[in-house]
Amino acid sequence: MFSLHGYGPSIFEGTILTLEVSLASLFIAMLLGISGALAKLSRARSLRLVSQIYTTIIRGIPDLVLMLLIFFGGQVFINQLGPMLGYDDYIDINPFIAGVSTIGFIFGAYMTETFRGAILAVSKGQLEAGTAYGMSSFMVFRRITLPQMVRHALPGFGNNWLVLVKTTALVSIIGLDDMVRKAGLAAGATRKPFTFYLVVAINYLLITTLSIYILKQLERRYSVGVREF
Amino acid sequence: MEERVVSVTLDDIHKRFDANEVLKGISLSAHQGEVISVLGPSGSGKSTLLRCINLLEIPDSGRLFVSGEEVLLKKTRDKRTVPADMKQVERIRAKLAMVFQQFNLWSHMTILQNVIEAPVHVLKVPRREAIDKARMYLEKVGIPDKLEAYPAHLSGGQQQRAAIARALAVEPEVILFDEPTSALDPELVGEVLQVMRTLAEEGRTMIVVTHEMGFAQEVSSRVIFLDEGLVMEDGDPETIFNNPATDRFSAFIKAMV
Ligand SMILES: Nc1ncnc2c1ncn2[C@@H]1O[C@H](COP(=O)(O)OP(=O)(O)OP(=O)(O)O)[C@@H](O)[C@H]1O
Ligand SMILES: [Mg+2]
Repeated sequence: MFSLHGYGPSIFEGTILTLEVSLASLFIAMLLGISGALAKLSRARSLRLVSQIYTTIIRGIPDLVLMLLIFFGGQVFINQLGPMLGYDDYIDINPFIAGVSTIGFIFGAYMTETFRGAILAVSKGQLEAGTAYGMSSFMVFRRITLPQMVRHALPGFGNNWLVLVKTTALVSIIGLDDMVRKAGLAAGATRKPFTFYLVVAINYLLITTLSIYILKQLERRYSVGVREF
Repeated sequence: MEERVVSVTLDDIHKRFDANEVLKGISLSAHQGEVISVLGPSGSGKSTLLRCINLLEIPDSGRLFVSGEEVLLKKTRDKRTVPADMKQVERIRAKLAMVFQQFNLWSHMTILQNVIEAPVHVLKVPRREAIDKARMYLEKVGIPDKLEAYPAHLSGGQQQRAAIARALAVEPEVILFDEPTSALDPELVGEVLQVMRTLAEEGRTMIVVTHEMGFAQEVSSRVIFLDEGLVMEDGDPETIFNNPATDRFSAFIKAMV
């Protein structure tokens, strides 16, 4: 077994931060995703247009470039806005908030596509049966669309989640102490980059493997009532 | 003639889809206990007629009454007709039950959950009471042992009977059937028709769009022939099958036999 030269706790802290960034980003991505999907399927043209622009922009620009744009661009924007509102101190964007909102914003676009497809996959006839039995449109969504779309959304959702976890490695470049950055610091101090990046790789692999296992269980749970072929 | 309570009245109902006028002025009353078979060639507007009754489609003009209550419609600025009061529409839909050609059971729910869904969540019947009634109705349609099964694990005939139990569970004023046996394998048609015959004998009010001439002749108390968006024939089965008033209907019967 190789030694971590006393950097074990530090890498562990970084791992926790990676998980925090991932889960917080996922939460934002899901909110944006469900709103984006409903907007795309809405009857209002303006909502459809806004969500279309959103997904087109996000899917067309590399994540890294978007993150730098939002982080530095946001910094400039807020500091120009500050004086106009009578606030003169320099405002530093909290890198955790910047990282989480950027990743959430990016993956919100992917979730939008996933959820849109999942909603479309729910049988029209079953939705109509809900309406015919006196359900309001909100109730049809809550009682029929939502539980059924989970099954259709899970594979794409799982994929997005795995890519999202890996994308959090980018937050190290805007100064967040995630496990990649912690490993970089340890590698620099000990001159053992291979050791520390190997540990990071194994940590990512553990997180994603556990995720895949949980997703499988969820898929099983949400496919009750579906005929197995 | 004795007073008969009217369940549904349509008065000069029109419905078009863009340039295609599908219902060209339908007037019709269904009385309590009547079993009305609606016949007609494909595309004549039978489904549209049923869907206008429970407001899955909103008529462009005309008046609609369900158990004495007039459905309130209004015109939007761009001249479309829409319900004036969605709450009223939901209340009226809950008084009518629909049985679909494709069953449309909710696939993520067990048969029991399907049957108690509208009673519990729309009509706010206490859960225990809804479950007891659901058992009774599932027994009536002959599948008392399928409570915990999911729709996908039943045969087509069993699914349609479960859908009929779901309809009965809301204790509807009228049950609307849209070709309830058309999606079934021939050997499963009989079991569903048998259940519908029992309901007819119990005096339930039913409007049934069907291609089953036997059912129309033997079970229904009244037959309507729809063609090109108009009621061409309307009478008791004996009379209209023996003495069709229109050539269209005689040709239709000949083609069906
Ligand atoms: N939502 C819709 N949008 C546009 N056209 C429609 C719509 N629903 C029905 N139609 C058209 O209205 C006409 C009547 O349709 P409808 O389904 O009422 O006929 P039907 O008598 O039930 O026929 P079938 O025996 O084939 O079920 C058809 O020409 C159909 O294409
Ligand atoms: Mg039809």
